[in-house]
Amino acid sequence: MIVDINFVGLIIASIMASAVPLILASCGELITERSGVLNLGVEGMMIIGAISGFALMTVTGSLIIAVFGAMLAGVLISTIFAFLTQTLITNHVATGLALTIFGIGISAMIGKNFVGIPGKEFPVLFEGLKDTIPLLSPILFGHSIVFYFAFALPFITSYFLKKTKIGLIVRAVGDSPESASNQGINVRFVRYACILYGGAMCGLAGAYLSMIYTPQWIENMTGGRGWIALALVVFSTWNPIKILIGAMIFGGLTIIQFHMQAIGVRIPVQFLTALPYIVTIIVLVVISRDSRKIRLSTPSSLGKSFHKDN
Amino acid sequence: MNTNLKISNVTKIYPGCVANDDVSLEFNSGKIYALLGENGAGKSTLVKILSGVVIPDEGKIYLNKNILKLNSPSDAKKNDIGMVFQHFNLFETLSVFENLIIDSDEQRENLKEKIDTIMKKYNFSVDLDVPVLNLSAGQKQKVEIIRCLIRSPKVLIMDEPTSVLTEQETSELFLSLKKFSEEGILIIYITHKLKEVMQLCDEVAVMRRGKLVSVSQINNENIESLANKMVGQDLKKIKKKKENTSSEQLIKITNLNFTSEDPFETNLVDINFSLNRGECLGIAGISGNGQSELFQVLSGEIISNKNSIEFNKNFIGDLNPQERREYLMAFSPEDRLEQAAIPQMAIFENVALNNFKSSNFFNNGLINESKIKEHSKKIISEFNVNTDNIDLKSQFLSGGNLQKLIIGRELITSPDLLICFNPTWGLDVGAINYIHETLIKINEQNKSIILISTDTDELLKLSDKISVIHRGKLSKIMNAEDVTSEKLGILMGGGN
Repeated sequence: MIVDINFVGLIIASIMASAVPLILASCGELITERSGVLNLGVEGMMIIGAISGFALMTVTGSLIIAVFGAMLAGVLISTIFAFLTQTLITNHVATGLALTIFGIGISAMIGKNFVGIPGKEFPVLFEGLKDTIPLLSPILFGHSIVFYFAFALPFITSYFLKKTKIGLIVRAVGDSPESASNQGINVRFVRYACILYGGAMCGLAGAYLSMIYTPQWIENMTGGRGWIALALVVFSTWNPIKILIGAMIFGGLTIIQFHMQAIGVRIPVQFLTALPYIVTIIVLVVISRDSRKIRLSTPSSLGKSFHKDN
Repeated sequence: MNTNLKISNVTKIYPGCVANDDVSLEFNSGKIYALLGENGAGKSTLVKILSGVVIPDEGKIYLNKNILKLNSPSDAKKNDIGMVFQHFNLFETLSVFENLIIDSDEQRENLKEKIDTIMKKYNFSVDLDVPVLNLSAGQKQKVEIIRCLIRSPKVLIMDEPTSVLTEQETSELFLSLKKFSEEGILIIYITHKLKEVMQLCDEVAVMRRGKLVSVSQINNENIESLANKMVGQDLKKIKKKKENTSSEQLIKITNLNFTSEDPFETNLVDINFSLNRGECLGIAGISGNGQSELFQVLSGEIISNKNSIEFNKNFIGDLNPQERREYLMAFSPEDRLEQAAIPQMAIFENVALNNFKSSNFFNNGLINESKIKEHSKKIISEFNVNTDNIDLKSQFLSGGNLQKLIIGRELITSPDLLICFNPTWGLDVGAINYIHETLIKINEQNKSIILISTDTDELLKLSDKISVIHRGKLSKIMNAEDVTSEKLGILMGGGN
């Protein structure tokens, strides 16, 4: 069998494309969690982003409005979460779960009118360079702007957390909200901001799914990617670069097992479908074993409500 | 320039308690002021008001005759009031430098230079690049102090700063504080340790139950007079009677080792000691040197080699705490509300947790409530727990009462050995006295005690033998009479 080298490039590109929503949602959630907030509503925020983006695209016809609208929808729904957990001091876990259920429900309701409508073509960048370099060209060129943004995001996030003052404040709040508050940092404000940012990234991840990856609306089309994104954050030990690795492994195995099913490999389908989930978590656990590093990068106050007493 | 800080008629009321009742005080720079009081006397509330963490219900604060509005910690910072809290306000997972730059507006390089100057001037040495969780308590405190000094404060408030320090670190701290004071920084020193007040301060204000009791020059006071003012009654002096202890060996630890998988725990290396009936073995050390691991190994929370612990001629190293209790061991862990009692459960339920086959607290799997309650009432009256409501959740007991309950629960079964870890930590003088009396009493009844404590005075008062734990190793066992707190301090710091 002769394997076309460009075909390999195309497979890698498709793996990368399937990793995009995971990277976006995980990097958003990572910032939220680094500030000490556990938002389990990722799946809900993604699906809201997906329907909002698709609906706005269909109604307004503008891709720009649709993409930013989807991010705004993510922000709005995460505002509910922020208000409940930060202002009314509700439990993070219960509120996050409720958010996911709410998101799935409301997206299905809005989405009824958009089932079966074909999506629009999303413009891609550097299309002219597609045939210049073998293997690399399909990987590097001819993707949407969201794709490039997603692969830059882990590095931006890492730089933000390590090198900027605001990143330092986010980590400080996640480490000890009490100390941060005593230092004069407005803990609630920082956490609101981080939750809203996480919402925006999840909204974008959803929009990528419904507008670029599979341009159409299908009910429940996020299909558990929000949960995988959450798992990536934890198993990467809150490290954006490891999120990138985890998302690639997950995307890769998902694509490869599709091809294996298509070729007709004699392994039970259920096992193949479960494979990406299992392998991703094992790999991340193995590369994050250093308990000292885990301690240093785990936000100590994760999931704990902070109530400023007076 | 002189600094004058005036607190005028400050009142702060919490539901069910008046934390500060019409407190007025005046401070001038050049002097070191002590604010003395028992736990719950209102000192901490007062300093939280000064640092903007708590807003008073009534009253005003003046700095150099100007009224201060302290609505948040940043207001205090802006007005040059620096504060070192008892529980460090540091970010454990961030590096020292990150901790310092986070509330500074200066550029990296400028700040680094400034920190270097401060460290040179006061002879501090702290590695700026390591995460704070790797530092010792003394170093953490230095980071807190540097953080205040960066802002060149007019007022520096220290809230119980020595509770985690060794003797050496304490005297270093005192030297620095005196230096700061000479340079014109007004120092307010909060403590309940009388010795320190006498050593360090020029003037002392005593608080009791939210009220200011007295303000006086240190020259007119002595330890007894201050203690009486602080407690509000004459304190009995307790001293251990030296009697001939028996020579019957009760417990023997042989080559006990513990290697932890958690890098933040301390490994125990070759622990060897023995203890006779009626003796108290004190184990001194700076917190975090293996005390909690040692306690867990002795209590059976961590199981060790069967032969490493011989108790009453039985080898019990592989037994769990419940089984060890059946052999008449009793335990009072360090953290009263986390390890010794369950905060959300009622007093009598907590009592029932320490049950023996013989105590009949449970019949065929059902709780025998009347039996437990009767037993609890007995503990409460015998051990002076100040409540008559045994349905009260234990989290609502004061530290002193809770400790009495826990010690009572352990002692009522008359065990042969009590192992306690910091039994008087954070308690007020009255409760400390009671616990000390109780511990002496059980020694007199020919029962033994292993007292793991970070309080050297307590150890010297109660122990017959003393050893020091440093980085998981025990020093040789010394007779308490031959030991001074200076000597302990050196051993605690790893010296010889």
